[in-house]
Amino acid sequence: MWSFEHLDRLPNKRGSCSSTVLPQPPKRRTMEELWKDISLNASKLDQHGLYHHSHPADSCSSPFPNMILQDFLAGPLNRPPYPPPAVVEELPLPPPQAALSLNSGLEFQFLGEPDQAKTHSNSSSNNVGGNAANGSFISSALSAGPPSPTAIFSFCSRKRSTTERPGAADRCQIRMIKNRESAARSRARKQAYTIELESEVSHLKEENAKLQRQNEELMRNQVVATKSTLQRSSTAPF
Amino acid sequence: MSRDPLVVGNVIGDILDPFVKSATLRVLYNNKEVTNGSELKPSAVVNEPRVEIQGRGTRTLYTLVMVDPDAPSPSNPTKREHLHWLVTDIPETANASCGNEIVSYESPRPTAGIHRLVFVLFRQSVRQTIYAPGWRQNFNTRDFAALYNLDDPVAAIYFNCQRENGCGGRRYL
Repeated sequence: MWSFEHLDRLPNKRGSCSSTVLPQPPKRRTMEELWKDISLNASKLDQHGLYHHSHPADSCSSPFPNMILQDFLAGPLNRPPYPPPAVVEELPLPPPQAALSLNSGLEFQFLGEPDQAKTHSNSSSNNVGGNAANGSFISSALSAGPPSPTAIFSFCSRKRSTTERPGAADRCQIRMIKNRESAARSRARKQAYTIELESEVSHLKEENAKLQRQNEELMRNQVVATKSTLQRSSTAPF
Repeated sequence: MSRDPLVVGNVIGDILDPFVKSATLRVLYNNKEVTNGSELKPSAVVNEPRVEIQGRGTRTLYTLVMVDPDAPSPSNPTKREHLHWLVTDIPETANASCGNEIVSYESPRPTAGIHRLVFVLFRQSVRQTIYAPGWRQNFNTRDFAALYNLDDPVAAIYFNCQRENGCGGRRYL
C-alpha cells in the first residue's frame, strides 16, 4: 500500500512542497517515538481484538499490510506500532481514542481529519490499495499530526448525539439552552449583589467620613466652649 | 461604572419599568435589613417583615406589593407573578401593619430554582379602595398600577430565596 520508504521515492515536484512530505529523519524519529508510546498501551488491548482486517496481501511492501484506507485516515493515533510486528492479524484499538471517545470504539471512524481526506475516503471506500493519487492527501494527513484532544472530544459529543436517537439531539440542545439561561441568571444575580454591596460600601464610607468630620467639629466647639467658661465669674470682695 | 441592581437582576424588565427612586424603602426580617439582591432562606422569611418608608415627609400614603416573578421556577415562570403580600394606605414612617392588608402575607416556599422576591412601593395620591385579586398567581404589577392609577413606583427592593435544603430534584425536559 503505502509506506514511508514509498513516500521517499516520490518525485521531486512533491518534494518542493516539502512540508507535506513526511519522511525526513527528524520527523520520522518523533513519529516513531509516538508509535512506541502507542505500542506500549496497545499491547494491553491486544486481546480485545475489536479491529478486524483481512485483506489480500498487496504486492507492494508496506508496514501496515492489514490496514485499509479508512483506518489509516482515522488518524495517526489509530495506527499500529511502527515497525509493526511480523504477523498482524488484528489491529489493536488505539487507547487514546478509547480514553477520549464517549461512545463505543466501533462507531468511531474518523477523528477530525481534514475534510478532503473524508471526501476522498467516501469516494474510494472500496479502494483497498493506496495509489499515487492518494499519496498527496495521505502525506498531508500524516503531517497533520495527532488531532488535538479537544477536537476529538467535541467531535465525539457531536457524533454521539446524532447517532443515538433522532430526538436526543434536540433534547441536548434544549438542555444546553436552558443551562445557558440558568448560567446567565446566576451571573446576573451575582453581579447585582456585588453592585449593591459596592454602592452600600461607598455610601457608608461617605456617611462615616461626614459623621467623623461633624464629630471633630463638635469636639472642637466643646473645647472652645469649656475654655471660655474657665473665667472668673466673681471675685471675692476683699 | 455601577448600574442599578434592579436592572442587572432583571427586576426592571420582568416586572417593572424603569423608574426614578423617590422614597427610601427598608425591609427588615427579624430586625435585619434586607440588602438588595441578597439571599434569604425560607425559614428567615416565614413571618411578615417590618417595613420602613421614608419619603417626602408629608402625609402621603403608600401601597406595598410583594411578588415572586419566578413562579413556579425561574426557567419556566408560567405563573409569573405570584402575589405574596398586598398592603395599602401605609402612612410614612410607620410600619406596614398600620395599613390595610388587602392580601395577607404568604411565606415564600420556592420548590424549584432560585426565586426573586420583589417589594414594590407605590405612592398613593388619594386614599383609595383597592380590591384583592381573585387569586395570587399570574398577578401583573404593571396592570395593577395602571388599574388603580398608582403612577410609577417610588421604590423597590428584592432578595433571592431558594429551597431550604437540597435542589428540588432533577427537572425533566
